[in-house]
Amino acid sequence: MGSLYSEHRSWLHACPAGLKLGVLALLGAVLYAMHGVPILGLAALACCLLFASLGPATRPVRRLLRALLLACVLLLGLHAALGQWQAGVLSVLRLLALTLLSLAMTVSTPPSALLAVLESALQPLQALGVRSERLALQLALMLRFTEHFFVLWRRLDDAHRLRTGRAGGLRLLAPLTLRMLDAARRVADTLELRLGD
Amino acid sequence: MKPSQTLAQVSLFAALMAVFGLIPKIDLPLGVPITLQTLGVMLAGCLLGPRRALHAIVLFLCGVALGLPLLSGGRGGPAVFLAPSAGYLLGWPLGAWVTGAVMARLPAASPRTAALSAVIASALGGLLCIHACGVLGLMGIAGLTARQALLGTLVFVPGDLLKCVLCALVVHTVARGLPDWRLGGRSTP
Amino acid sequence: MPELQNVTLIRGQRTIFEALSLRLDAQRIGLIGDNGAGKSSLFRLLCGLDLPSQGSVRVAGVAAHALSRERPGLIGMMFQNPDEQIIFPTVEDELALSLTRGARVRKDALQAARQFLHARGLGDWCPRAVSSLSQGQRQHVCWLALLIAKPQLMLLDEPFASLDLPGQYALDAEVAKLDQQVMLSTHQLEHVRRFERVLWLEQGRVRADGPGSEVCAAYAADVAQRQSQSVAANAAPPVAAGDRD
Repeated sequence: MGSLYSEHRSWLHACPAGLKLGVLALLGAVLYAMHGVPILGLAALACCLLFASLGPATRPVRRLLRALLLACVLLLGLHAALGQWQAGVLSVLRLLALTLLSLAMTVSTPPSALLAVLESALQPLQALGVRSERLALQLALMLRFTEHFFVLWRRLDDAHRLRTGRAGGLRLLAPLTLRMLDAARRVADTLELRLGD
Repeated sequence: MKPSQTLAQVSLFAALMAVFGLIPKIDLPLGVPITLQTLGVMLAGCLLGPRRALHAIVLFLCGVALGLPLLSGGRGGPAVFLAPSAGYLLGWPLGAWVTGAVMARLPAASPRTAALSAVIASALGGLLCIHACGVLGLMGIAGLTARQALLGTLVFVPGDLLKCVLCALVVHTVARGLPDWRLGGRSTP
Repeated sequence: MPELQNVTLIRGQRTIFEALSLRLDAQRIGLIGDNGAGKSSLFRLLCGLDLPSQGSVRVAGVAAHALSRERPGLIGMMFQNPDEQIIFPTVEDELALSLTRGARVRKDALQAARQFLHARGLGDWCPRAVSSLSQGQRQHVCWLALLIAKPQLMLLDEPFASLDLPGQYALDAEVAKLDQQVMLSTHQLEHVRRFERVLWLEQGRVRADGPGSEVCAAYAADVAQRQSQSVAANAAPPVAAGDRD
């Protein structure tokens, strides 16, 4: 399960992550402030061109473009059903522009750089009990546990099928949760030993 | 609680969200998709308590922001926070916190009371809270009026009520299987 | 050198250890006994994961439970299930964790991990995903992650349980090469027969403590005797009241 980062270097790869994230947030706000179809249309076109300019670097996210188009169609349909064509077009243009911009950012920024930016961005949340340091460790653990969940689910499902002849489905959620809570306890022991605190 | 235990539990529930996002969407007859991720929010709140549930969901959203395709449908990356449904996404951490805060204050003396408390906590946090944020998001980002957004969100309410019940069932099993588990992150089981 | 003094450990309703005192000074110590005898609990006390209800557990003169930053350099433990110990998705990151203790993965830690793997002829393991490795290979990753931290005392909790025969011999050879003190618990007695000291735990008490060959033989004989006794007890037909005349 990899990330959506592309190893093909494009011109955007050289930009620092914090800058890209900041510009993205700014452009997002600007796009919501714009209200005319022509100007938003131009903005969306500019974003398409920017995205296309990355060339082979866009490969990891090309399949997401299909989902994006579908979302645009659905959004337009929703507004059309409510009799608001113009609002629909505006929404679609904004969605297109912003999604393409952030996809461009995702493929051109290595996860470790984004991680560093996120860690500093999360610092204000420490007051609410969110520990922002060791973010890489927490994310790694999250991925390991995700793998472990699927392995355990399959094992429980096999056992269930052998004993009842049917698939387990959501029935297995409760026993799976119990097993995983148990596994978390043991992982906590390992963490305590290896991290020292 | 030891920091290592907090770390393990928070990562575990972030992983649960990822698991719910990775299993294929179930589509109801009218084409309304059922995703299980709100169930993950409810479970985190009921089982971890407000602070750690918030942490878990924020951790998960960080993973998504980094580009991991962990939202149902394989979506990921910062773009999802700017889409019309972003209100719901941002409602998840708040929903987890509210669920946890309510669960911590409701009785959980026996597995049955724990399950009932879980239904109430999930409905308040996982349903009400998230939908409120979602509606605000729809109004602000998709430009819908309040009435349109409310009608739009109502479609998902029956599915979410089902998830409240599912959450309660899991809480019931945990209360029976791990009797000294601190539901809602309370100080005594 | 770890030391237990008058240790009592109570977990819930059960008393695991009562007034147990041990000086664990040999370089290689084996720990054998039935399941539930307290082997894992003893290891957990030594690591400082559990606090004794009474008495003290000291490692290198410091109370085990009070250790924090120094702990990985003093004690390392390998648990039974590799899947619950491996934290990072790739082998090199996992080994680098032992060096960085959870802080952001530094370039030099990653370098050191790669060098470590190359030196053992496992250079191609560096970028590999842990999920692509077999069970035995994953356990080897746990072993390597433990080694790279260079603890003074290594605790191995039933390390042979899921290894195939070649894997068991390989681990034997690795353990023999080590400089540090190693304590190993196992049900496969042949691995600890040559140890200078083996402890036989029974219901929280040390039933025998001496050279590996003697203690292993005594334990094996005891198990055989209990087994034949229980077989005899089950085989004898019960005398029914109506049989008597």
